[in-house]
This record gives sequence, C-alpha cells and structure tokens, in this order.
Amino acid sequence: MSEQDGLPVLPHLAGEFYTWLWWSSEVQGAVFSLPDPVGQIELWVDERLAFRNADDTKVTAVMTGEAPSTSLEARAALAGGKVLNDLRVGIRRDDREFTVTLKGPAMHITGAKLPQVMSEGIDEVLYDRMFLYGELSLVLAALYDTFAEKRVSAAWESEVLPGLRRWIGGEL
Amino acid sequence: MGIMSGAMSVRRFRVVGELPEGWRELFRDRLQELAFKTPPHEVGKEEIEGWVEVHNLLDADFENYNRWLYNEFVLIALRVDKKRLPAKLFAATLEKRCEAWKKEKEVERVPASIRTELKEALELEWLKQTLPTVAVTEAAWNVNEEWLVLHGMSDAVSDRFRKRFFRTFGLRLVPWSPLDWVRTTDTVEGLINKAPSLMASPEDLGELR
Repeated sequence: MSEQDGLPVLPHLAGEFYTWLWWSSEVQGAVFSLPDPVGQIELWVDERLAFRNADDTKVTAVMTGEAPSTSLEARAALAGGKVLNDLRVGIRRDDREFTVTLKGPAMHITGAKLPQVMSEGIDEVLYDRMFLYGELSLVLAALYDTFAEKRVSAAWESEVLPGLRRWIGGEL
Repeated sequence: MGIMSGAMSVRRFRVVGELPEGWRELFRDRLQELAFKTPPHEVGKEEIEGWVEVHNLLDADFENYNRWLYNEFVLIALRVDKKRLPAKLFAATLEKRCEAWKKEKEVERVPASIRTELKEALELEWLKQTLPTVAVTEAAWNVNEEWLVLHGMSDAVSDRFRKRFFRTFGLRLVPWSPLDWVRTTDTVEGLINKAPSLMASPEDLGELR
C-alpha cells in the first residue's frame, strides 16, 4: 500500500458504515455531535435504500418512496443477511441542507443536491459549488472517522454490534 | 447537470506527482495541444477525443486562462465523439447493393473482395451524412489541494479520463478511498485488519435458514 497506489476500498466497510449511520440516526434522534471543525449536524435516511447479498456486488433490492427506512421490509432485509449497498441521506448543518446518495463500496457521492447557489458568473458559481461540495465531504469525513474509531475499538463488539443487532431484530 | 449545476455525481481522485515550475503556461500549452479538434466530415467510426471548455463543448481554445483556470481550480471537460451507423439498416442496404451488383454483372455470387469494397463505400457514404454521438465529462481540479472530482460514475469513462489526464499533465489520478477520510494511520491499519462484522444476529439468520 503506497502513496502512489492509494488506500484500498474495503467493500464490507461501506455496508457497515451505512447501517451504522441508519441505526445511529434512529437511536440518537438524527443529531450527531462531530469533532471540530464540523460540530453538530442532523442526519436522516432519505428516499432510497439499496441492498445486495453479502457475497455479491449486484443490488438485489431497492426501497424508495417516503421514509423507506421505517418500513418493516427494510430492516427485514438486514435481518435476512442483506448488506446495504446505497444509502440516500439528508444532512443539515446550520441552515444548509444537503441530500446525497452514498453509492457502493467506494462510497461515491451521487445525486448530491447542494444548497441553492445564488451567485452569478462562472467563477463565483464554481467557488460556491466547490465550497459546498467541500462542506459535504467534510461532514461525511467526520461521520466516517467517528464510525472508524468505534469500529476499531473494543466497544464495537461489546456495545455497538449488540445494539445494532437488537435494532435490526426490531427492538427499537 | 454537472459540476456547475444540478445534482452532483462525482468520483474523487488524488492528483499524484509534482507540479512543474511554470505549470500554468505548461498546462495551457498541453491543453491546446490535446484539445478537441473537429475532424473532417469523412472521418470513420473511430472515437475522437480531446479537451474542451466546460462553458461550451464547441470551445476548445485554452489560450485565455480566464476560460479554464479559476485561482486554484482547473475546470475542463473531456469530449469524446463517435459515429455509429444503424447496424440493421446498414446490413439490409448492403444486401441490396450486393444484389444490384450481381444483377448488373449477371453472376450468381458476390466475391468477398467485392463485398468488402461495397461495404467500405457504403460506410464512407453514410459516415459523411452521420452526426456523431457526443459525450462530455466535466472535471474540477483543485491544484493546491491536489484533488480532482470527475462528473461521471462509469469505470470506462473514468479510465479514459485518467489516461488522457496523465498524457496531458504528466500527473496520476489515484482513486480516492473512504479510508482517506480517516484521520489516523493506526485507525486505517485497524480497519484493514478487522474481519467483516455480521450485522444481523446469528440467531435471526438461523431462523431464516
């Protein structure tokens, strides 16, 4: 693994991160307190969930429409061993609201709706759009880093995973 | 829809390599050299590619920095043109031409060499009248922070762009990984070494089986 080759994409981590995000957003009422410079944000699962089988790369079930994450089918898919492949989330930081689909193992940013840019002229529009893209990346990075710290800690096995499993089993 | 407006679907890359001295002038010259050049009408079915400005895919003159360089951002697009003939209609027309040739020559069969000649002639005739399909992939490159976002999700588009980018600027585009978001190398190593977690409880899975 060198600077030249880049870091690997570990397919299972994306599915775990998406599930952790979904679960965290439900158990802590959408509010996330993230390390500086991000601070407090709100996050909710939006209008799309896509699942795949654990040993496959193809999406086998897609749930869309209003609040698919609250449907019984969605958690039943997880309980049946399916893995989240795509997750559409809404994020609010201060007065700015973003929606984005995190797609696949590489967590590509797709269909990202950024707050409306009121600027004129290509340079202003570019700076504003890149600033907002940067802000969205900053929030996602802080969320992923928070997940990563938990994932490598002892608390993952002793607290997080049991909580997740109870939630998947319908206890919340 | 793209980098400059609408919903954004992007792949992110790290730009690896040393920025050469006088990079602005050098990149301008390289962009000019590898800009999209409109081919003559009779050009064949091969793909034609080159850099264009994001403002308009017909603008491929990079002399004016104000059209593609915005402080630390390079804003460019890769245009790829390809002419495609309607395969079924082409095959049917070629068949008619072969029949006409047989009738004219009063023979039973068309030799392979003549068939090839007729096919090439028909291709040339049709390609002159056919407009290409045009694909444009936009990118924004933050030169100071050494990252680039490419508006497009396909592997083929991404590979083509990376090759062209290296050929033009001599810098490599390395696909970004979610692990690049993790702040400490210890945590990255920890994640790499952890086995996947079974998210559903083993009991739930057992009940389903």
